[in-house]
Amino acid sequence: MGKYIFRMALQIVPVLFLISLIVFVLVHITGDPVNLMLPETATEADREALRAAWGLDRPLYEQYATFLGNVVQGNFGTSFHYGEEALPLVLERLPASFELAAASMLIAVVLAVPLGIISAVKRNTVLDLLISGLAVIGKAMPNFWMGIMLILIFSVQLGYFPVSGRGGLEHLALPAFTLGVGLAAQMTRLIRSNMLEILNQDYIRTARSKGLVEAIVVGKHALRNGMIPVVTIMGLQFTSLIGGTLVTETVFAWPGLGQLLVTAINTRDMAIVQAAVFIIAITVIITNLITDLIYRLLDPRIKYNS
Amino acid sequence: MLSTLTSRRAMMKGLIVLLAGMLILAGCSSSGGGGNTTTGTDKGTNNESKAPAASGEKVLTIANPTDIESFDVHNNNNTFSEAVMVNVFDYLLKNDSSQNKQPSLATSWEQRDELTWRFKLRDDVLFHNGDPFTADDVKFSLERVAKDSALKQHTYYKDLKEVNVIDAHTVDIVTNHPDPIMLNRLSRMGADILPSKYIQEKGIEAFLKAPVGTGPYKFSKWTKDDRIELVKNDSYFGGEPKWDKVVFRMIPEAATRVSELLTGGVDIVSNVPATDIERINSSGKASIEQATIQRVLHVLMRTGEGSVTANPKVREAIELAIDKQAIIDSIAGGAGTPTRTSVTPGNFGADPSLYDNYIYDLDKAKALLKEAGYESGPKLTFTAGSNYKEVAEVVAAMLTQAGFEVNLEILEPSKFSETYNAKKFKELFLLGVGNSLFDASNNYNRFLVENAKGETDYNNPEVEALLQAAAVNMNPEEREKQYQQVQQHIANDRPTIYLYQMKGVYGVNERIQYAPRLDEMFFAEEITLK
Repeated sequence: MGKYIFRMALQIVPVLFLISLIVFVLVHITGDPVNLMLPETATEADREALRAAWGLDRPLYEQYATFLGNVVQGNFGTSFHYGEEALPLVLERLPASFELAAASMLIAVVLAVPLGIISAVKRNTVLDLLISGLAVIGKAMPNFWMGIMLILIFSVQLGYFPVSGRGGLEHLALPAFTLGVGLAAQMTRLIRSNMLEILNQDYIRTARSKGLVEAIVVGKHALRNGMIPVVTIMGLQFTSLIGGTLVTETVFAWPGLGQLLVTAINTRDMAIVQAAVFIIAITVIITNLITDLIYRLLDPRIKYNS
Repeated sequence: MLSTLTSRRAMMKGLIVLLAGMLILAGCSSSGGGGNTTTGTDKGTNNESKAPAASGEKVLTIANPTDIESFDVHNNNNTFSEAVMVNVFDYLLKNDSSQNKQPSLATSWEQRDELTWRFKLRDDVLFHNGDPFTADDVKFSLERVAKDSALKQHTYYKDLKEVNVIDAHTVDIVTNHPDPIMLNRLSRMGADILPSKYIQEKGIEAFLKAPVGTGPYKFSKWTKDDRIELVKNDSYFGGEPKWDKVVFRMIPEAATRVSELLTGGVDIVSNVPATDIERINSSGKASIEQATIQRVLHVLMRTGEGSVTANPKVREAIELAIDKQAIIDSIAGGAGTPTRTSVTPGNFGADPSLYDNYIYDLDKAKALLKEAGYESGPKLTFTAGSNYKEVAEVVAAMLTQAGFEVNLEILEPSKFSETYNAKKFKELFLLGVGNSLFDASNNYNRFLVENAKGETDYNNPEVEALLQAAAVNMNPEEREKQYQQVQQHIANDRPTIYLYQMKGVYGVNERIQYAPRLDEMFFAEEITLK
């Protein structure tokens, strides 16, 4: 297992290198940050001077080489927008992003696991239809609309939760629920179809014929195997929750990585974009690693060296 | 077998922990939230402004759609940043709410000669870290922004040659050319005075993390894209500040800002959309305050050979075809004033005859196009940034009605500024211009031949002579007349058509007394409890 983790860690280096090259080229061909930094009345000479001051007048390959050299030393450069070092600016957003991602995931699991199981066990009943219907609605509601509705109902009308911002758990509830419901909808459908398939397997019949109570058959023998694809989805969704929840972050004024990244892209803030993409890439790699480890926990037939 | 068992147990444990955590979260969420609203105390940070009777602390909370850029006052270029900075830093002189110059860090000033201004400084001012404010701080601050071309405010201060320290509380500010608007420069963003000793000893990075100024409020905390917290400066030279704490919150979504206002989470929200005005006014908890701001929308046109808009009749037809009041009513919810100049009242050089009026005559526009030789409409490309998409669409529809064939091009804001700076627009483009200098030169220098090349290609020797003379004219009466003449020429020649001056729309909690300013600054000292 140690060997396996080591091999996975080695993959990080070429992946990060490739990502840095792609991001660097993309950001540079889409526009000139200097145009966005100066007031409308600035002259061409002002722009030239600013370009020179930031080293943006040098050839692209030279800028990239300097950039790589600095990154190796952990220096992603200075943000044009904030005038501060980029990496700490990105890192200080991570707690907010992780907090929201973890809470959404938790809500999704708590909703989806029981609903998915009930839906499968009681298949083709009214209950199943109701759950499946809810799942479709949950998936179809745009986060933007749902967030605003939750604010209007639970904050403005009922006054249960604060409207926006980051603070205690009460601030986390509405944004996490907004994101969690969409995820739960997807997971409920997945768990249902997996469970249906598994409940028809021979080993389930064996378990039942051994005289085990249905709760153990479903909750232990079937659920464990039914969770494997769910873990995959959770891994994928978790990483997209880290950097990609801009809409929900905007509605709830949640100071996460998504807002930082989009502002940085709009202002061509190279250093921040690079640092953020690096951090997200590392998160993806680590999450994949954890997902793989959980597979093996759930199904010992999967070997580390295969 | 053993390992399988252990891992199974571990997994079960994990699941149990997960479920338990979930229950706790659910429990805390509702009880925490409920407790928060019933007690209204300081538990929820965003409820601090809800009359926190327990602590008796006076807290003012203002919500803006975007965060500040940084605490480097010389390297910011947006109004929302400066609206926060004015509470932490001071200028040498400042504009009161009617834009008259008032003493601030300087007590008096006089012009020594065409290039030199002398300022007497207060001798009783301390920076938030205890350093006394002296002439060295003025020299350091103004020369920094004047000499470092990497700073975003440099373009407004580059003509400042040097600051000479006469004694600890007297400075001479020397310019390269006569500068009739020196006092305007010194009372706007970029002219804030920084602590020279603190920055020279600790470096600018350290200053940005723990900024220090002379203003009524001290820096306490900045969580980016979330909030800035300022606390009262007890040793403020202007007397005891009115609030114990001033909080600026960043809430990008307009609907959320309005909800925060209605639940008492914040006291003042800026940029209220036209569609929410009624909802706020009828809530009984807050009301709308409107104030004209220094932003005018206008349509610039190519006047050079090869463009259909080179023909003055076509340009006149365009102005006649646009019903400015209808745009204000339909898009801005009435929050605007039609104008034929961008030098609006309160600015130096304003010509009142061109303000609050417009010409609209669709039939005459059609007739003019015929006279110009167009039976079926001339083709125009009209470009606008997506931030003004709705206005552009209405203008395009009005032009189409008059017989033009309009190709409307909407660009994402960064793409728009790039095309703008490269001067690559076709016949028409829509621009919103601000004027933090409160002077006609700021917006009319774009019609100097050198600046107009590639943009409007405007070339009128009379206007050129007037603008050149006014730029260095130290006689205010004469200078004002020169700019008024320029505006009349521009209104007749039409290298651009001004649409309307925008209004700032604010939602204000019932407990707060607040009159919004023309310059969009939030001076907490001007905002009071009712």
